[in-house]
Amino acid sequence: MIGLLKAEIRKLWTVWSTYVLFAIVVVIDLLFGFALAFAPGGRHGGTAGVVPHGSTTWFINVFSVLDNSRLLALVLGAIIITGEYRHKTVTPTFLAEPRRGRVVTAKLGIGFLAGLLLGVLTMLTGLVIGFILVAVRVHSCAGLLGVSQGMSQAVCATQHGVYYVANTHDMWHDWSRIAPGVILGTGLFAVYGVGLGALLKNQIVAIVVGLLFTLVVETIVGAIWPTIGKYLPGQAATALEDAARTSFRGTTPLLSWWEGAIMLCVYGIALSVIGTLTTLREDIT
Amino acid sequence: MPTIQARGLTKRFGADVLAVDHLDFDAIPGGVTGFLGPNGAGKTTTLRMLLGLVTPTSGSVRIDGQRYRDLPNPTMLVGAVLEASGFHPARSARNHLKVIAEMAHIPFKRVDECLELVGLSGVAKRAAGGYSLGMRQRLDLARALLGKPDILVLDEPANGLDPQGIAWLRDFLRFYASEGTTAGRDGRIVIVSSHLLSEAQLIVDDVIVLHGGRLAAQGRLADLLAGTKSSVRVRTPDAERLVQALHAAQLPAVMQDGYVVCEGGTPEVLGPIMVNNRIEVHEMVSSTQSLESLFFSLTGGETMQEGNVVGPIAAYRRFSDGGSPPDEPPVVASPASAAPPSSVAPPPPEPPPPETPSSAPTSSAGPVRGQQ
Repeated sequence: MIGLLKAEIRKLWTVWSTYVLFAIVVVIDLLFGFALAFAPGGRHGGTAGVVPHGSTTWFINVFSVLDNSRLLALVLGAIIITGEYRHKTVTPTFLAEPRRGRVVTAKLGIGFLAGLLLGVLTMLTGLVIGFILVAVRVHSCAGLLGVSQGMSQAVCATQHGVYYVANTHDMWHDWSRIAPGVILGTGLFAVYGVGLGALLKNQIVAIVVGLLFTLVVETIVGAIWPTIGKYLPGQAATALEDAARTSFRGTTPLLSWWEGAIMLCVYGIALSVIGTLTTLREDIT
Repeated sequence: MPTIQARGLTKRFGADVLAVDHLDFDAIPGGVTGFLGPNGAGKTTTLRMLLGLVTPTSGSVRIDGQRYRDLPNPTMLVGAVLEASGFHPARSARNHLKVIAEMAHIPFKRVDECLELVGLSGVAKRAAGGYSLGMRQRLDLARALLGKPDILVLDEPANGLDPQGIAWLRDFLRFYASEGTTAGRDGRIVIVSSHLLSEAQLIVDDVIVLHGGRLAAQGRLADLLAGTKSSVRVRTPDAERLVQALHAAQLPAVMQDGYVVCEGGTPEVLGPIMVNNRIEVHEMVSSTQSLESLFFSLTGGETMQEGNVVGPIAAYRRFSDGGSPPDEPPVVASPASAAPPSSVAPPPPEPPPPETPSSAPTSSAGPVRGQQ
C-alpha cells in the first residue's frame, strides 16, 4: 500500500494540471475575498474594514467565503480517478495492481491529503487577504479620519459616530474560527470527489454532476427541507466551521462539526465502495 | 517454469457477441509463441482476460496456477504491452515508469535501464504526449520489462513500428525468450499476437491460432508447416505430356494459367520424371510453405472442422483438448532451442536510435487500433 500511495503522489505532481488547479484556487480565493471585503455593507466611505460599530462579523464574512474552495477539491478528487480513464493510464495501473479496490483506497487517501493541502493553501491566501485589508485600513483610515490609528485599536470615533476598524487581533481570532473547518472540509470534499469519480468514471460527467449537485440540488433541498439539507455534503462541510453557527449565516440548521465530518467520510467512502463494486469492475478494453 | 493455462475460457459481450468460445491452450516456455488469427478472432480479448483486465464469462486462464488478480506483485512475473495502453500526455516517460516502479517496489535504477534498453534515454524527460506511435510502443515495452518478467505478452507490437523497429523487436524478443533458458532458469514465455503473418513467421517458434473465438491449431510452427502441402508450378511447351507423366506417377497435376501445377509435389520428385520423359522445362517454381498458406487453410472460407485436422496439428489439438501429449515432442530447429548451450547470455540487440518526437498535433492521438 505504501508503494501505491507513493505512486499516487507521483501521478498527482508530475502533471501540470494539478499545479494549474492549485493556482486557480488561489486566484478564486483572492477574487472572492476582496470582492466580499469591498462589497456594499463591508465598507464605509470607500474604505474596506471600516464599518459601523457592532459589525463584528466582518472578517468572518471575508474568510467564510473561502470555503468555496471545496468545489475545486471536489474537481481534484474526481480528476484523480477519472483522469486514469480519460488518458487510459488505467490499463498500466490495473496491470501493476489488479486489485482495483486497493487502487481506489490509495486514491481516497491521497485525495484527502491533496484536499487538505488545498484547504491550507486557501486559508494561507485568506491570511494574505486579511493582512492586506488591515494595512489598507490603517493607511486609509488615518487619511480619512485624520486620527492616528494603532494596529490593535478596534474602534475609532469620527464626526459620524463610532466605527469598527479591522485589526490584526480580530483577524487572527476570526481566522482561527474558520480555518480548521475549511481545511478539513476541503480535504473531505476531495474524498467525496474521488467517490463520485469512482462511481461515474467519466471525467466530465463526474465534475458536472458534483458541481451541479452541490450548487443547485443542495441549495434547493436546503431551502425546502432544511432538516434533510443539513445532511448533504455541502452543508455537512459548512458544519465543520466553528464560526458558521454564530455568523451572519445564522438561520440554517447545521450538524455538529464531527457529525459533518462523519457524513462527508460516509459520502466519499460509500460512493467509492459502490463504484468499486460496479463501474470499476467493468472490463478494460 | 512459468505456465499459462486456459481452460474453457469464454467471453461473451452483450447478448450476441461471443468473442471467445471455450478456449483451451497452454503457452510453452522457451520460445516465442505467436497468438494468431484474423481480426475479430478473439486474440485481444483473450490476452486481456489473461491479464485480469477483462473478466471471463466462464472458464479461466491461470498463470502459474493463479488468476492474474491473485498474483501478489504481477509486474515481477508478467509484463504486457497492449494496444490503447495510455500515457498522460503531460507526464514524462521517466515519471510514467517511476509510477509503475513505485507500485511494484522496483528501484528507479531499473527505470533507467529499461529506458536505455528501448532507446528512449535521450528523450526520457519529455512529455509522452509528444511521442510518436513507435516511441510510445517502446515506452510501453520498457514499462512491461520493469520487473524482468518471465512472461511477456505483446498485443500487435509491430503496429506503429518502422521496419527497423520491427527488426529490433524481433531480435529482442528472441533474445529475451532465450535468455530465460541460458540464465539457468527454465525458460520464459513470450506471447506475441499478430495478424501480420509474414512478420510473425520470422519471430515465432510456437503458434496458437484462433478463429472465431475458438482454437484452430496449436503447436510448433515447423510441425504445423510440415503438415501443409507444398506445390510445384512448371512452365513447359510439353504441358500435356507432363500431366500424363505425373498422373502415371500417381501425382495430381492440373493445368492452371498455362502452368502445370502439382499439389504436394516437390522439385526433387518432379525433376527425375521430367528428365526421364525428356520434357523441356522453361520454368519451375516451388511454392514455399508459409504460415500464410497454413493460416488460410486453417481459417479461410468455411469454419475449421475437427476432421480436417491431420498430423501434428491433430496431435496438438488432442493435447490441448485434455488428452495426453504426444510421446515425443518433435525436435525443431529454431534459433531459440537449437542454439548450443552456452553459459554466456548473448548480448541484447542494440536499441534503434531514438526517433525525433513528432511535433504535429496529430501525434498526441492514441495509437491506431488495428483490431479489437
